[in-house]
Amino acid sequence: MTMAMAETQKGFIDVREMGVIFGANDNKVVAVESVSLNVQPGEFVSLIGPSGCGKSTLLSIVAGFVKPTSGEAKLDGKAITKPGSDRGVVFQQYSLFPWLSVRKNVEFGLKMAGVDQSKRNTTARALLDLAGLLSFENHYPDQLSGGMKQRIGIVRALATSPQVLLMDEPFGALDTQTRVVMQEILTNIWQQFKISVLFITHDIEESIFLSDRIYVMTARPGRIKAEIKVPLPRPRRAEMTDTPEFMNLVQELKGLIREESLAAMAPEIKDRGLSGFGMKVGPKGVGEIF
Amino acid sequence: MGSLASAKIVALPMVDKHSEPAPAAVKPSAAEIPAAEATANAPAPVAASELPVSAPEPVPTVSLTEVLRSLLARITRDRIITAALACISIGALFLFWYLGTRYRLEFYIRFKNVPTPYEVYQQLTQVGLSNKYLVNIAISVRRILLGFFIAMAIGVPLGLAIGKYQRVRDLFMPVIEIMRPIPAIAWVPMSIMLWPNNEASIVFITFIGAFFPILLNTIHGVHSLDGVLIRAARCLGASEFRLFLNVILPGSLPHIFTGLAVGMGVAWVSLIAAEMISGQFGVGYFTWEAYSLVDYPAIVLGMITIGFLGLACSGIIRMVGSLLMPWLAFAPGGKR
Repeated sequence: MTMAMAETQKGFIDVREMGVIFGANDNKVVAVESVSLNVQPGEFVSLIGPSGCGKSTLLSIVAGFVKPTSGEAKLDGKAITKPGSDRGVVFQQYSLFPWLSVRKNVEFGLKMAGVDQSKRNTTARALLDLAGLLSFENHYPDQLSGGMKQRIGIVRALATSPQVLLMDEPFGALDTQTRVVMQEILTNIWQQFKISVLFITHDIEESIFLSDRIYVMTARPGRIKAEIKVPLPRPRRAEMTDTPEFMNLVQELKGLIREESLAAMAPEIKDRGLSGFGMKVGPKGVGEIF
Repeated sequence: MGSLASAKIVALPMVDKHSEPAPAAVKPSAAEIPAAEATANAPAPVAASELPVSAPEPVPTVSLTEVLRSLLARITRDRIITAALACISIGALFLFWYLGTRYRLEFYIRFKNVPTPYEVYQQLTQVGLSNKYLVNIAISVRRILLGFFIAMAIGVPLGLAIGKYQRVRDLFMPVIEIMRPIPAIAWVPMSIMLWPNNEASIVFITFIGAFFPILLNTIHGVHSLDGVLIRAARCLGASEFRLFLNVILPGSLPHIFTGLAVGMGVAWVSLIAAEMISGQFGVGYFTWEAYSLVDYPAIVLGMITIGFLGLACSGIIRMVGSLLMPWLAFAPGGKR
């Protein structure tokens, strides 16, 4: 199944001249401005930028939750108008249904597609085995740790055999150690399923470790500032983060992001720099200056 | 999908050890998990043998019976304290009642005419098994069930629709906001005019009492549902109807049950008031009639009966709730 998908070259995301404006008149906010990007079939692409730059908005458009003000998003040549099971989405917040057992959560998409119970069961168990969580199939999500929940979120999104996986800072809420492990799991799953991934993050190392290509976005209004190829070989290993190639990429991206992070901050901080506000802070804290 | 099961897995099974550092979040007893993990790794022997898995850490052996025994000991001790406190609180009420009537206390409140616990007990043994008393109970229960279930059948679907659709909300909320502050008792005269017979008007008043708590809590349940769950369901291919049935309804169920419990309480209040004012039969009528006939012990018997019936009804709702929502036992800040 997975091989067939790769051969037919499905999962091509094409975003053209996308613009998003929220609100109207005085409250108008330009969230995204003339963004063009693409994800080739089977490619892993990250979108990185300072907070509030509209990267999640972009993902919401590709997922079909938000309609763009201008431009269009296409999947395999077809315009995206609404959410659908051809695009699996993994959210930053844990989005498992708390009233369903772990297995029923993974089965959810198949149930919606009308797949019969025994087939659903087999598929869900295979996916849970892949995530290393088969022994927890009858647990409820609230009984699991954050990392486990997010692994289930990933295999649940994969259950309906989508062509693309859209991930919105999926590891943002996890602690550093768990996140590193999750990144390795994700690359493994991605290589097995050979599907396209659009991955949103603000973590530079994470984006390099995972991606074939990285788009860097500007502060609001979000535009594409740079497109960077990651030439690191596959499969990626945790040790690679210490290589000079990796370090150089980190430096390059840090420079690009820092400019934008500063641009996104309040003008006061920009004017005075980051050296502080000229306040004297005594041993009892800021209270003393008043 | 078959290829999934046989897919080679690299570096996956060992991952569990790293990413389960949250024992606090994992509620089942610690002894259970290592055992479960062992069985989980069994179906993927190929993958496991390929891995440079470090030797599994020796699990400290704890006898299962010991764990069970200590668990049992803790539960029973907890239970004993709970039961003792329950006895103390109910006992204190009876003691106050007994002492008040024994010494005929007169300090602003007057125990002069209040029947003693023994008189009420006698009343129970005489009247308690009489046909009249039991028929009164049966009639009250029937009215409650009718009013309550009609309120539930209308309140829950309407609440789900109002919670979900802005336009439905715009249409219904103004009239609901006007009707809601009118207590069910204030409906008694109108109800007698509206309905063809006494029975229907009392059921209607019970319905009014139960309806608004159920409706408003259902609306609140839909609103407090995490939007990400609806988005997740949408992109897993849920149709509008499926979304209601499989996400919005179960997601608001905890709030719906809060509404049912509150609604049941208000339904009893409304029913008793309605029976006292316009009734023939019913526990409320029984109590009021006793007052008219200067049969003081029967008043208290009626009150206690109402108390027990209300307790039983809310107990049943709570029981059904925990049967329908087993996941709540593990929810953060959960009830257990």
